Amino acid sequence: MIRAVEGVSLDVPRGATVAFVGPSGCGKSTLLKLIAGLLTTSHGSVLVDGQAVTRPLKNVGMAFQNPVLLPWRTVLDNLLLPLEILRENGDPRAPERAAWRERALRLLHTVGLEGSEHRQPRELSGGMRQRVSLCRALIHEPALLLLDEPFAALDAFTREEMWELHQALRLEREFTGVLVTHDLREAVFLADTIYVMRTHPGRLAYVHPVTFAAPRSMADLYSHDGTELIRQMRDEIRPPRGAVA
Amino acid sequence: MKRARKVVLPLAVFAALVLLWEVAVPLFRIQPIVLPPPSGIAQTMASTAGPIAFHARYTLVTTMIGFGAAVGLGLLLGFAIGASAAVHDALYPLLVGFNSIPKAAVVPLLVMWFGIGTVPAVLTAFLLAFFPVAVNVAVGLATLESELRDVLRVLGASRWQIFRKVGVPRTMPLFFASLKVAVSSAFVGSVISETVASNAGIGYLMAVAASDFNTALAFGGLFVLAAMGVVLYGIFAVIERRMTGWAYAE
Repeated sequence: MIRAVEGVSLDVPRGATVAFVGPSGCGKSTLLKLIAGLLTTSHGSVLVDGQAVTRPLKNVGMAFQNPVLLPWRTVLDNLLLPLEILRENGDPRAPERAAWRERALRLLHTVGLEGSEHRQPRELSGGMRQRVSLCRALIHEPALLLLDEPFAALDAFTREEMWELHQALRLEREFTGVLVTHDLREAVFLADTIYVMRTHPGRLAYVHPVTFAAPRSMADLYSHDGTELIRQMRDEIRPPRGAVA
Repeated sequence: MKRARKVVLPLAVFAALVLLWEVAVPLFRIQPIVLPPPSGIAQTMASTAGPIAFHARYTLVTTMIGFGAAVGLGLLLGFAIGASAAVHDALYPLLVGFNSIPKAAVVPLLVMWFGIGTVPAVLTAFLLAFFPVAVNVAVGLATLESELRDVLRVLGASRWQIFRKVGVPRTMPLFFASLKVAVSSAFVGSVISETVASNAGIGYLMAVAASDFNTALAFGGLFVLAAMGVVLYGIFAVIERRMTGWAYAE
């Protein structure tokens, strides 16, 4: 048996966002799936709200690098999909049907997509699709938002826009966030705590609290503390030539 | 302009070929019994329009019954194979093996069991048509993005809900694309069977015409088959566009 991740032990306080960074194959995505209950642990346990996770959670929003919108539905209908499923399952978190549209439009407004609700996904740019994907992850007001390299496929400027958007959404609503990313600047901008992981097997190597006050700005990233933190994490992930790991 | 070209150009080429044929037959002194000129074929078709229409209708009905059954069973089988890895592993190799049998070879068996007539033709049409439907539907379901599945599972969605809300709609473009292939295959199947063992249908008409050395009528049957095949394909191509326009880029 191959151990994908081991020796990972940590707590995520309610309402906080943590980020996992590290080289490819360090088990970041596996960790995310373990938290969501999409995979089960062979050893050890994952607790969410004090409950052991043994099957997929039901109060989670997820977004991936690939926005996977449904091309036969409009933007609005894509956003309503989670609500339809909650409704069918008799989930008490499903709002009345009359309130759906309003809630979706409000979210679209927050991410700057007002007026796009009737467009087809194929008419949108990559950044716009990713915004819709993020809205879909939040439409049912999940307590937990899991993001797996959500902005990796976007160009640098769009990515920075998305960081600010994510921050705006976080200020507006309460959710606990877990972010998996290759982008150290993204982790510093979005997370309260950053875990640096190592490979073979995947494990936690370093922990960095990020202390910039909210709301954060790009200036924080380029401040002395910001660049120093990024440089340090970079060296932790790939030790500089000549150094002894 | 471009649209017009796409219609006019192939028609012009077709007309030119027919004209070339018409001119070539007297020019090279070809016997009409070997190759009648298009005008002769047209004459024969006009004088036998009644029987041709009867046989064409018969072939059409046979084809559509076989095709309808193939669509129904193909959908069911495709959904089962696409939705369950166990069903896939159990049935898919058998299906591929079965599909590699030339279906014309099955006709004698069908005739043994069901006699000469409609039943073997319907069954041959069915056997040829259901494979493309089943495979396309199975592929559509099996290639569902894992991320999408994850997004829905963490909402508490059941497998049935994922199948219904996402699996089925995203399979529709492949399903409708398979229909135009399947209808052509069903058509081939019914004509093969009619040629070998039937007493009605265009295939039968052509077999009889050939045994009478009535080359013009055999060609007439061929033209009718070509026209029917094109029209059937065209109908399902249009339905495909209408039903799943979202799957095409602007």
